[in-house]
Amino acid sequence: MRLSLHVNGTTRAVEAEPRDTLADTLRDGAALTALHLGCEGGSCGACTVLLDGEPVRSCIVLAVTVEGREVRTLEGLAGDSVTEALKRAFHEEHALQCGYCTPGMLVTARDILRRFPGPDEAMIRRELAGQICRCTGYMGIVAAIRRVGEALQETSGAGA
Amino acid sequence: MDGAAPAEGWIGTRLLRKEDARFLAGKGQFLADIRMAGMEDVCFVRSPVAHGRLNGITKPKGAVFAAGDLPPFQPLPAGPDLPSYRTVPYPPLATDMVRFVGQPVAACLAPTRAAAEDLAGLVELDIAELPAVVDARAAMRPGSPLVHEGWPDNAFITSGAHGGEFDAQRAAATVSIRRDLRMNRQAVVPLEPRGVLAYWDHRLDELVVYLSSQAPHVMRIGLAQVLGLSEHRLHIIAPDVGGGFGAKNRLMPEEIVVCALALQRGTPVRWLEDRRESFLSAPQARGHVYDLTLHADADGNLLALEGEVLIDAGAYALWPTGAFAEASMAVRNLTGPYRIPAIRLRNATVATNKPPMGAYRGVARPGACFAIERMIDEVARALGMEPAELRRSNLLTPEELPYRTAGGMRLDNGDYPRALETAREMIGLDAVRARQAAGEPDGRRVGIGFALYAEQSGHGLKEWARRGARVLPAYDTSTVRLMPDGSAQVLVGIQSHGQGLETTLAQMAATALQLHPDRIAIRHGDTAVSPFGFGTFASRSTIFAGGAAVRACRVLAERLRIIGAHLLQADPAAVVLADGEVRHGSAAVSYAEISRAAHVRQELLPAGMDPVLEATATYEPPESEGTFSYSCHAALVAADPLTGATEVLDYVVAEDCGTMVNPMIVDGQVYGGVVQGIGTALFEEIPFDEGGQPLATTFADYHMPCASEMPRIRIAHLVTPSTITEFGVKGMGEGGAIAPPAAIANALADAFKAEGAEFNETPCSPRRVTAALDAAGVAP
Ligand code: FES
Ligand code: FES
Repeated sequence: MRLSLHVNGTTRAVEAEPRDTLADTLRDGAALTALHLGCEGGSCGACTVLLDGEPVRSCIVLAVTVEGREVRTLEGLAGDSVTEALKRAFHEEHALQCGYCTPGMLVTARDILRRFPGPDEAMIRRELAGQICRCTGYMGIVAAIRRVGEALQETSGAGA
Repeated sequence: MDGAAPAEGWIGTRLLRKEDARFLAGKGQFLADIRMAGMEDVCFVRSPVAHGRLNGITKPKGAVFAAGDLPPFQPLPAGPDLPSYRTVPYPPLATDMVRFVGQPVAACLAPTRAAAEDLAGLVELDIAELPAVVDARAAMRPGSPLVHEGWPDNAFITSGAHGGEFDAQRAAATVSIRRDLRMNRQAVVPLEPRGVLAYWDHRLDELVVYLSSQAPHVMRIGLAQVLGLSEHRLHIIAPDVGGGFGAKNRLMPEEIVVCALALQRGTPVRWLEDRRESFLSAPQARGHVYDLTLHADADGNLLALEGEVLIDAGAYALWPTGAFAEASMAVRNLTGPYRIPAIRLRNATVATNKPPMGAYRGVARPGACFAIERMIDEVARALGMEPAELRRSNLLTPEELPYRTAGGMRLDNGDYPRALETAREMIGLDAVRARQAAGEPDGRRVGIGFALYAEQSGHGLKEWARRGARVLPAYDTSTVRLMPDGSAQVLVGIQSHGQGLETTLAQMAATALQLHPDRIAIRHGDTAVSPFGFGTFASRSTIFAGGAAVRACRVLAERLRIIGAHLLQADPAAVVLADGEVRHGSAAVSYAEISRAAHVRQELLPAGMDPVLEATATYEPPESEGTFSYSCHAALVAADPLTGATEVLDYVVAEDCGTMVNPMIVDGQVYGGVVQGIGTALFEEIPFDEGGQPLATTFADYHMPCASEMPRIRIAHLVTPSTITEFGVKGMGEGGAIAPPAAIANALADAFKAEGAEFNETPCSPRRVTAALDAAGVAP
């Protein structure tokens, strides 16, 4: 069947079967690569995208259920100031090794900072539960998120 | 990229990674990101039983291939090339027998993965089930069912290690501690599962194979042999690989079958492993069973170690080396960095009805470290000594190095006692002792545990030949090419999949060539691009590929010097190379000008100088027995006697990997390794029931360490440069994963030392912890 998806600000028509996941549809139908499949069962977070602004695991969302809703992948967050700051901090804090978990981590990290201004380390670690990285031991990821959180606090404090 | 060229070159610089940009943009190119027109996806039909006779396959209509539907595969003997080893073929698709749950039996093709799975669901297997061999120790008892008919017992190979004056040392002992210890089987779990895409390229007249692999050149050898293809018609590309850790360093049946299908059908054929298949059939790891006795005198001097090590190797040997480094490395590494003058050890690599074992970060040494470090704590306890003190007095001192261990390893240099002292101070042993005396307000118990290891790296020909390896990764190769504009490409036979080698190798080449790393590109992972090399595993790439690149760079630097001096009309001995220029006093000629002359303005070259600036070099360290990194890990844990839940409160590492090329990347490797080791210590296991059914096949029942349970890890560096490698580097990719199971189990034992509870089996899950506390009579 033909679905009309709002992905990263544009509407596109994609072919999908009723059983197809959003992850497969975005990857195969829309040729997006900034979401990866690590478990296809909702437990690793590598496929995280935003659905109407909320992070979801696209491997356990059926594509047919998102018609008319807004999907945003990491590709669609290019230019977003928090995402760009997170990318820079991930680079500087060595928060990625193989890079497979990275897009899902960035999408999740942005959401953590949206919900919790200036989170401390314990909060960041708690919020990253279920977001698996096999390579980094999470040290750089936690440090990067913390750093951007602090910088955002400072700028919002300065503006107040 | 930040950082200006330091005067001494780029070694030791915290250069940010060259590879990050593509991943941060979501533009990494992993196997599943590669698509071909007309591509078919494969789903494998796998054995549902652990052991049985395959009597028949009922195939639905559609593209379903069993063993008999493909041209016969050529033999591909795997495992050690030793007369004492029992070899057995591992058919890529099962023929008459199935020997583990998950063994591939048939391949189904369809335009999508989902449709291929539908097809696979219609295949019926007629299998007469046989009793399964599940436990390595039971497998070695007389009367056990056999995994391979006709064998006298279930051992692939048995061996032993003897060293020192065993009887005399044992006779001097006043304390002898005997223990059973187990490091259970687990998965390796690179976050990107396995995958392969193969197609015939008509223009090049070759089979192109995209393979999520750590070792494309070596896999080409095996694939060519089993497919009966000439190697010049086989092109392997390992694109971005989402982690390997040893799990993508063996030739797997699915990979062979996909290539055979691509040859047979003439269409691109792809297989993407899903996570469940990965738990069922990807190479598994650990699976060590120990029965050891450690002898010591009344002062706590360790004297001798004896006993047995069994490796639960699974049903088959994976090409090239299977799991056959485990047993001999376990016994040879058991004495660690300690002065234990005598050993008498037996080992057996045991066939079981489980997936074939491969390699995993640390290979054998996490088990060996766990075993010896647990025993050392028990000796300390028996003698009423502080475990850290007993360690200190038994560690080899810098003055004793180089030292030949009873297991025959030559420990080269370093300061083991200082690593212990550093870790002890960082974790605050004295403060923890005071805290223990005061007790915890929440009723938990805290404990502290130490563990040390020395990790062999950079070992050369003799060492690999001694092990009977079929492929001897004792050197590596690099071609360095100066482009006509003076930038450089460094082609290497390794495959970087998270280790940051696109950055560290550029730093090494930049230093040898005196050229900014921004002007250097590292190319790897493609057999058509780079010269032959063995791949990335065994903590070898910085030593071997870095060494080869540095040597090739030096050849080019010498030619740059001669051509540059000629262009400057100066004496070659009077010029210097710096920052992409050849300089003579205040005059300078850039590499761009020199390389332009060498490529397109050859009339400017000195007489007799060949055009083109390209050099290939190999590197093998001059000392075949390798160079040893080492570290001391210390863990502080809190355990709840009621629930058995263990929390790691603090974790420190004092490590020495020689010269650090990029300290940021070194730290990243340690952090990642430690968290994997904590996974082994506390969470990760694939248990099997009596019928050989795996009991963990999803992330719901296989627990991965997440940020929420992991401590902040602190690292201190000691730096003792290797004397045998370029720049004094030592291999360090694996070490982080070696010591955590030992340190954490020791910390648990320390928490309950009053009652004498012991934790001699990993993972120390809540159930095992409460069982150990029950056995020791600890009241919750
Ligand atoms: S792939 Fe979706 S959560 Fe793992
Ligand atoms: S960087 Fe490899 S899984 Fe996170």
